[in-house]
Amino acid sequence: MRGIRKAFGAVTAVDGVDLELRGGEIQALVGENGAGKSTLAAIAFGALRPDAGTVERRGTVGLVHQHFELIERMRVWENIVIGREPRRGVRIDTDAAKRAVRELAARNGLDVDPDAIVESLPVAMKQRVELLRELERRPAVLLLDEPTAALAPAEVAAFFATIVALARAGTAVLVVTHKLQEVLDYADTVSVMRRGKIVAHFASRGVALDEIARTMVGGELPKVAARASTAPVPRVRVAHLRAESGDNAVRDVSFEVRGGEIVAVAGVEGNGQTSLADALAGVLPYEGSIEGADARGVIPQDRLREGLVPSWSVTENVALGRQHARARRGALLDRRGVLQAARAIVERYDVRAPSVDARVATLSGGNQQKLVVGRALLDDPAFVVAYQPTRGIDVGAAALVQSRLMEARNAGAAVLLISFDLDEVFALADRILVLYRGRIAGTFAREDADRAKIGRLMAGGT
Amino acid sequence: MTIAGVIGAFVVLLAIKTTPIAFAALGGTLGERSGVINIGLEGMMTAGAFAAVVASGATGVPWLGAVAGVVAGAAFGALLGVLATRVRVDQIVAGTGINLFALGSAAFLLVLVYGQPGASKTVPSLGNGSWLLVALAFAVALALHVFLVATPAGLRLRACGENPSAVAAAGIDPLRIRLLAVTAGGALAGLGGAYLSIGELNLYSDGMIAGRGFIALAAVIFGRWTPLGAMGAALFFGFFEALQFVLQGSSIPSEAMQMLPYVAAIVALVAFRGRARAPAADGIPYERNIEEF
Amino acid sequence: MNVRKAFGAPLTALAIVVAGGAVAMWLSGVNPLDGFAALVAGSLGGTGELSETLVQTGALLFPALAVALAFRGGLFNIGAEGQLLVGGLAAGAIGATYGGLPVFGILAMLCASALAGGMWGALAGVLRAKFEASEIITTLMLNSIAFYVASYFVGGPLHSPLASGAETAPLPANLWLPLLVPGTRLSIALLLALALAAALQFLLARTVFGFDLRAAGDAPEPARRNGVDLPRITIVALALSGAIAGLGGGTLVTGALHRFNTALSPGYGYTAIAVALVADLNPLWICAAAFGFGMLESGGLAMQAQAQVPKDVIHAIEGVIVLVLAARRFVATRVEQRV
Repeated sequence: MRGIRKAFGAVTAVDGVDLELRGGEIQALVGENGAGKSTLAAIAFGALRPDAGTVERRGTVGLVHQHFELIERMRVWENIVIGREPRRGVRIDTDAAKRAVRELAARNGLDVDPDAIVESLPVAMKQRVELLRELERRPAVLLLDEPTAALAPAEVAAFFATIVALARAGTAVLVVTHKLQEVLDYADTVSVMRRGKIVAHFASRGVALDEIARTMVGGELPKVAARASTAPVPRVRVAHLRAESGDNAVRDVSFEVRGGEIVAVAGVEGNGQTSLADALAGVLPYEGSIEGADARGVIPQDRLREGLVPSWSVTENVALGRQHARARRGALLDRRGVLQAARAIVERYDVRAPSVDARVATLSGGNQQKLVVGRALLDDPAFVVAYQPTRGIDVGAAALVQSRLMEARNAGAAVLLISFDLDEVFALADRILVLYRGRIAGTFAREDADRAKIGRLMAGGT
Repeated sequence: MTIAGVIGAFVVLLAIKTTPIAFAALGGTLGERSGVINIGLEGMMTAGAFAAVVASGATGVPWLGAVAGVVAGAAFGALLGVLATRVRVDQIVAGTGINLFALGSAAFLLVLVYGQPGASKTVPSLGNGSWLLVALAFAVALALHVFLVATPAGLRLRACGENPSAVAAAGIDPLRIRLLAVTAGGALAGLGGAYLSIGELNLYSDGMIAGRGFIALAAVIFGRWTPLGAMGAALFFGFFEALQFVLQGSSIPSEAMQMLPYVAAIVALVAFRGRARAPAADGIPYERNIEEF
Repeated sequence: MNVRKAFGAPLTALAIVVAGGAVAMWLSGVNPLDGFAALVAGSLGGTGELSETLVQTGALLFPALAVALAFRGGLFNIGAEGQLLVGGLAAGAIGATYGGLPVFGILAMLCASALAGGMWGALAGVLRAKFEASEIITTLMLNSIAFYVASYFVGGPLHSPLASGAETAPLPANLWLPLLVPGTRLSIALLLALALAAALQFLLARTVFGFDLRAAGDAPEPARRNGVDLPRITIVALALSGAIAGLGGGTLVTGALHRFNTALSPGYGYTAIAVALVADLNPLWICAAAFGFGMLESGGLAMQAQAQVPKDVIHAIEGVIVLVLAARRFVATRVEQRV
């Protein structure tokens, strides 16, 4: 790829990039959200046409999506052969299709059951299906978009073993990721993007993690507010909680969150976090008991699908969730109060919006997230549920969000942080719970939390 | 009349009343399995019924009328398909627009072509040939079943209704599949309309579809989005229509009988809810989204 | 708000009317200029014509507001036609049997019509909220059911021997809504409709209920997670929507027709969808859109009588308006989200 340029409206997403992927090499592409990685990957794949520049591909390009593009209610073999179905007359040759899937799986050391319905499979298995579908097309180039976001540490190692083997066999691999440790562990070279440009290209051997991070941000990393000493008081008590949404259930979980502490729930996505968060947020029926959680502020996992009405203004979204409480005057909305609250959030959380009347859909992800966090903490809740509060936002916005959570804790709030990111867990938590298959697999105080041990527990080890 | 005679007559009536609903329901099923909800079935049946009468009257060949019905239905199907895929309109609103347009233009063209409002002149009908269409309805149900379950194109079509992005990831254009599916669905609905106007009868009259397209919509759901299920549901609604015919002149008010299929549709929706799930992407426009990368 | 956004929909609709009308007139062998002259003269040409246009405006306003209320809540109420009909039937039934003070009689008729329409809408709401039955299908089915229920009553229990067809006995003049213009059919129903539009605008913009309703319509999952009781909103919104449409039927009975029959509505409930969409579901703009469509309804008859262009073409044109505006509405949101 040479001289690639791509703009959306007034925003230049990719600004004159040269990128070369070589067969046999694993290249990592890192950068903050909004740096242009996704756009560049889309252009490399051929899903977007660049405004300027040339793309030369030798052979086909395969893409493994972060959010798998699988047909959940169909079988594994159907997902893999679709588009290239073996035929017998006008019909699909089902036996040949399953045989081909089995052979493909064996060849790559990725064991799957061709007859399984995809929606019944665990996340790591779904990813195998996604990878197999791409490998079936024998791609010369393989693009991986945040491939390990939903994997436990042990699963990450197994996944990359496959990828390294593919690369050694001659495939060119590009990994788009924000997990810098994986870059150092598995990639041969690293390209760093910032504001649409590739600002550095390293051989990953011998580079320090900090150096990559600083190059991404373009300066020093922002600091998170300091942890003040508090005297924790009993606040929220959860006992024998059971709740289920889809295949993501919590089974008999008991714990306490005290005022003045952050309790972090560590774990790999899909181990019951969603059910736990939804039960605590009061939007999912549950068995067992939750006490002391009534005055709560909730930061949902997905700001656009759960937290905000995208077509509404900043102001109206500040009223959302509070329309039956503080934002109400009788049967009417308290429009003046809401407007004041919106202005306060915009200022205190540095929400960059043209005005409080701007539609939320037009804001960047980081600014949307700051708005959600600001709204959740607006009425000084005694209990805060924060589910992946820094997901997909840039380093500056993430530091601000983490600082506000820490300040809420310092001021006496009970904070439950659910995060798939161990760095975040270690940065914020006073205590750490490890969630595995809907149960608490271990509890650690901040002082004696052992990262290796927690990593093993997250994967079901001991 | 003997008992056997009565039953025989009723079966004949059942077949006649089932066929138009079946064609439309099969067309609707095809569309929804690809991810497009077709509220415009009523309008497509209207277009088919009207075009069939005009073509049959103009050529004197009723089978050309049936072909015209198919073409008219397909044209409206393609219109909905283009709106639903290329322009990504709200499918419910677009279907409603198609119904308004088809019913209005048929009434307008009726006056233009025949110089009188309300009903057309009589035209050559299919007569006994209409039984071929009855048989065809059953054959289409079977053929669609095999198509969806066992052929590559059927697999791709079903996949479009579940997750069009996955279909695109496999290198196939989901919009093209949806467009073809809705067009074919419109053709079937048009044939259902043609059966009404030149199969069962020999003229077009305003409002003759009388909500059968909407009943077919319920039959799609009642039939759990499968062709054989849709056929079964069409028989169910056909049964109530036939019953209404049989019970005419009895002490039960005719209006109570006439509303039976509609009441049955609501009851069926409630009673059989949750037995099957709609296609996951049913009614949801598809657009490639770069944020997914 | 820029000019294109504010006037785009009405101008588009106008362009479709002109183009579609011209094609239809040309097909009918009529000079489009003569045809449009007949349409305009027939709808605005004199006190009588203008009054009739305003009668049609009012008749469309009720169901259009009903449609807008439901659509804003993400509920596809395609059943305004049936709700209007049962509302008219309820009013007609009371009018045919009432013997008390006139002023209470009129009130009773209006209340009964709102109640009947409201129940018809609430039924679809309950079926959706409690039994997951698509309101699109149930409201369509309920339209047909309403028609047969109404024709049963006017053919049987409420049939008047005085009437030539299947309809109720004419209302005594003291049960008529007061007229705005003597000698026409224009009654205070129009004022009621306008007041209702203002009330609906207030409900949507200022009240907690309106806030919840809009949240449910614009983003149901975020709404549910933020304190909006979706099943309750579904039932209440469809009940309110049905009540407004039903009230429209009642005002047609007491205000314009002065009796009930099944020809009460020539498809107002369906045309209302076009009216609401042209106005972007905004109650105040709906008033203007209803006037435009009212002109078509009343002028269409004149066009048919004087220029021999079948008035059904009006409905075909309305269909095109719905199709084009459905497309346009999407394009507008997409452009905004790209920024």
